[in-house]
Parts: sequence; C-alpha cells; structure tokens
Amino acid sequence: MEIIEESQSGVNIFKLNGRLDSNTSQGFEKKIFQAIDDGSKSMLIDFKDLEYISSAGLRVILKATKALKREEGKMMLCDMQDYVKEVFEIAGFDSFLTIVGTMDDALQAF
Amino acid sequence: MAKNKISFKLKSKLSELDTLCQHLERFGQSIGLSPKCIFEANLALDELFTNIISYGFNDNKVHTIEVTISHKNNKLIFNIEDDGMPFNPTEADTPDLECTIEECKIGGLGIHLAKNLMDEVCYQRCKEKNILTLKKNVKEAEPAKKRVKG
Repeated sequence: MEIIEESQSGVNIFKLNGRLDSNTSQGFEKKIFQAIDDGSKSMLIDFKDLEYISSAGLRVILKATKALKREEGKMMLCDMQDYVKEVFEIAGFDSFLTIVGTMDDALQAF
Repeated sequence: MAKNKISFKLKSKLSELDTLCQHLERFGQSIGLSPKCIFEANLALDELFTNIISYGFNDNKVHTIEVTISHKNNKLIFNIEDDGMPFNPTEADTPDLECTIEECKIGGLGIHLAKNLMDEVCYQRCKEKNILTLKKNVKEAEPAKKRVKG
C-alpha cells in the first residue's frame, strides 16, 4: 500500500492507495501516530484510491480518531468506494466517524 | 467454460493474504463475479484466515490452511480447514455496535464482518481439524460496472 501525506490549509491529508489489511496496517498506524505526536489536530484520510480495507485497517482508524479526540482534534474520512463504506457501516463505525463525499467537502468542514 | 472450483493451500503467515486475494480475484473474474462480490468474499476469508493464524496455533511451526471455493447454482461455497486449536467463530460474541467511540472496542469485529458478508457460516470440528463452510448467494454474472461517484 502507498500512503501519500500532504498538508492543505493546516489539515494533514493521508491519501491511501492499495490495500489496508493486517499486512499494511502497521505502517499506516506508524505514520498517522507520528503526525499526532507532531501535534497535528486536523486530519483527513482520502479513500479515493483505496481498494480494500479489513478490520485491521478499521482498528487503526478507530485508535487514531480516539487519540485525536483526546487532543481535541478532528478526523474526517472522504471519497470512499461504496463497498468500502459498507464495511464501515457493518462495523457500526459510520455512527461516530465523519465520512463525507469529496475532499473539498471535507476541507470546508474543518 | 470457466472452472467452477479451485483449491489452494496457504501457509500460516500474514503475507499469504496477498496469495488469497490473487486466487480469489482470478477465480472471481473467470466466473464473472462483480468486483463488489469479490471484495466481500475476500474480506470474509481474510478475517477468518487472519483470526486462525493469529490465535489458532500455540507453537512456532508453519501450518497449512486449505481453502476450497466452488460456484454452483448462483451460490459460492467456501471451505477453510486448519489444524489449529478448536475454535468456533459462529459462537463468538457480537461486538456492541451501538456504542460510542469511547466505548467502541475492536475485538470480534473481524468475525462480525465475515458473518455479515456471508449468507451462511457453519463450523465443524473433525479429525483434529477446524472446518468452516461459508455460503454466499450471488446474482447472475453481470458485466463489471464502472465506479459511479455519489
């Protein structure tokens, strides 16, 4: 999996490309927690090019969102393929994570 | 005509998730499954396989997990066999899905996903092996659709 990190208007953007599973989730966890340690308060994960997610990936997103909330930060997720979004819904995560359509929608909401 | 059954073996290593995905994609495409259906089957098998290799063995040996997938009468049937400790995922607790983010725990989520993505999950313990049989109803094969942004 490829993770591209960008910053736009003070928002840390993580663009995920490929498969987020038990093999790749640790690398993603390291990157996202490095950004939280570095003081990032606004985070956006772009799912546009993410083909696949398993519970290992959900776990990292849950953990990071909790950590960010403790720091009074904000996490948003955008541009999911329908079947990726369905995984968040089956897990019940859509009730407490903010999932929006496009990156522009997300950036305006910070 | 496309072959309607495949069997393959996976070693008890996380890197085998890629092998699982390759087999599923090749088989799924050959019988005309939709990308969504391949994705869901992949996720269910990933979660059960990851669970087996994470908790099923208490030695450091490499074990073999056997997978068979067949397609008949608009039904996909998956068979997963391992020689690990007895574990029946159909009896695993369902995570609390009504919880708040603070209360939310990740344990049991993988099995919950697998059960939801399949129409039937059966477990048997036979000859020192765990045997899982999963069934998924699929629609008639249809051409792959392009992603529609919504």
